[in-house]
Amino acid sequence: MGRAQPLSTALVALVALAVGFLLAGQVKAQLLTPSNQVGRNQALIRSVQDLERTNQADRAKIERLRAEIDTLEAQAASQSQTTQGLKNQVADLRAHAGLTPLHGPGVEVNLSSGPPGSDASGQNRNLITYQDVQDLVNLLFASGAEGVAVSGRRITPMSAFSGSEGEVIVDQGPPLFSPIRIVAVGDRNGMEAALGDPNSLPSLRIREIQFLLTLIVRGAPDESLPAFDGSLEAPHVGPA
Amino acid sequence: MSARPSPRRARQRSRSSAGPVAVWLIALLVALVATVQLRSQAEVERSLVQADPATLAFSIDQLSRSNDELVAQINDLTQRRAQLQSGGSAAADRQLQAELDQLRILEGLVPVHGPGVVLVIDASGLTALDLQDAINNLAAGGSEALAVNDQRVVAGVPIVQTAGGVTVGGTLTPPPWTILAIGDTNRLAETADAMTQQLRGDRRVRVATYRVESDIVIRAVVTERPFVYGVP
Repeated sequence: MGRAQPLSTALVALVALAVGFLLAGQVKAQLLTPSNQVGRNQALIRSVQDLERTNQADRAKIERLRAEIDTLEAQAASQSQTTQGLKNQVADLRAHAGLTPLHGPGVEVNLSSGPPGSDASGQNRNLITYQDVQDLVNLLFASGAEGVAVSGRRITPMSAFSGSEGEVIVDQGPPLFSPIRIVAVGDRNGMEAALGDPNSLPSLRIREIQFLLTLIVRGAPDESLPAFDGSLEAPHVGPA
Repeated sequence: MSARPSPRRARQRSRSSAGPVAVWLIALLVALVATVQLRSQAEVERSLVQADPATLAFSIDQLSRSNDELVAQINDLTQRRAQLQSGGSAAADRQLQAELDQLRILEGLVPVHGPGVVLVIDASGLTALDLQDAINNLAAGGSEALAVNDQRVVAGVPIVQTAGGVTVGGTLTPPPWTILAIGDTNRLAETADAMTQQLRGDRRVRVATYRVESDIVIRAVVTERPFVYGVP
């Protein structure tokens, strides 16, 4: 019995040592390489965050400058009928271009990605894409929208959508992610009917069932859209 | 004579049971520390999995270009503000007229010209979604004015699938589609090249070509639609 106790102690020590080695090996084999990758990703994420901050500050500056210009133009228009006439024409075009806020009856669409892992094939079809947002915005305009905003980004005549998996970029704005909120002002009945049509938005309808994406539509008597706060520069095109 | 164990025996018993307990405790501690370390590391990785390097690189490229465009707009607006501050009504008239002309171009209300690309696409089974994708790709690729088969297209012009085929702004527009896009030719050519290469990989596609032109004229215009429901 006296000999058995040191033996069991040695056995426990050996087991503990083995566990320690195994864990150390696991850490070395699995975590060191990914942690380098994590470091690289973190550097990229910091770059994205810096650019997003600059983007936000620039858009705020554009908004301020447009407001200041509007005030100065109003002052000039108060002294000249010609200026007032021009200002009225520009105001109408600015409204149609999305450069001023708009409100009225409309619809609100909330689009969310399906839960992670719901696409077992690994193709991430549970994630919403910029094409989904593009299809929705096109459908809204085709069914009577007079103005549309995507997660607070106003759509203009020059608007374009891009992005990669799960990421939606509208014009010069920062990347948007699920849930995406699309608000449209215009013919509420027409838009609600189009959104309720089971034949519209075929890709989204299928993925709603297969990968649990959600599309929630709500009509409202008064929706508000913000003014566009990005760039509308078009340096290559001129009147013919 | 007494039932009480001798001090020597007690010391022996406590020493003999303390050894394995200490070893077990150390083993447990090692396991715990290792587990905590593994878990925290795994959690960090999980939070970053959502943004893979390719997505992050795309975001950086896109945001850099966007920020350059925003800076150009800031410079333009700053200049306009300075002119207004110093020039009075005459400066305001000049600026308003210039903005009027520019907005008419952007909203597709007047004929336009400029450098760009001409794409020709023909395939069986093309739908409104295909045309919307092509238009959006070119818009994202730097197009400043667009037309398809002599129909002007801006965001908001409905491209709809009907029983008779694809309509653009209410006009039936069957393939082949000739798409005119005015803008930065370098960016547009790159976009058009990628688009046509991808299209040629589809067996249904009969034609997918593009050419760069130094001056394209788009005569088609969009009819202005007054607001019926919206209030600015």
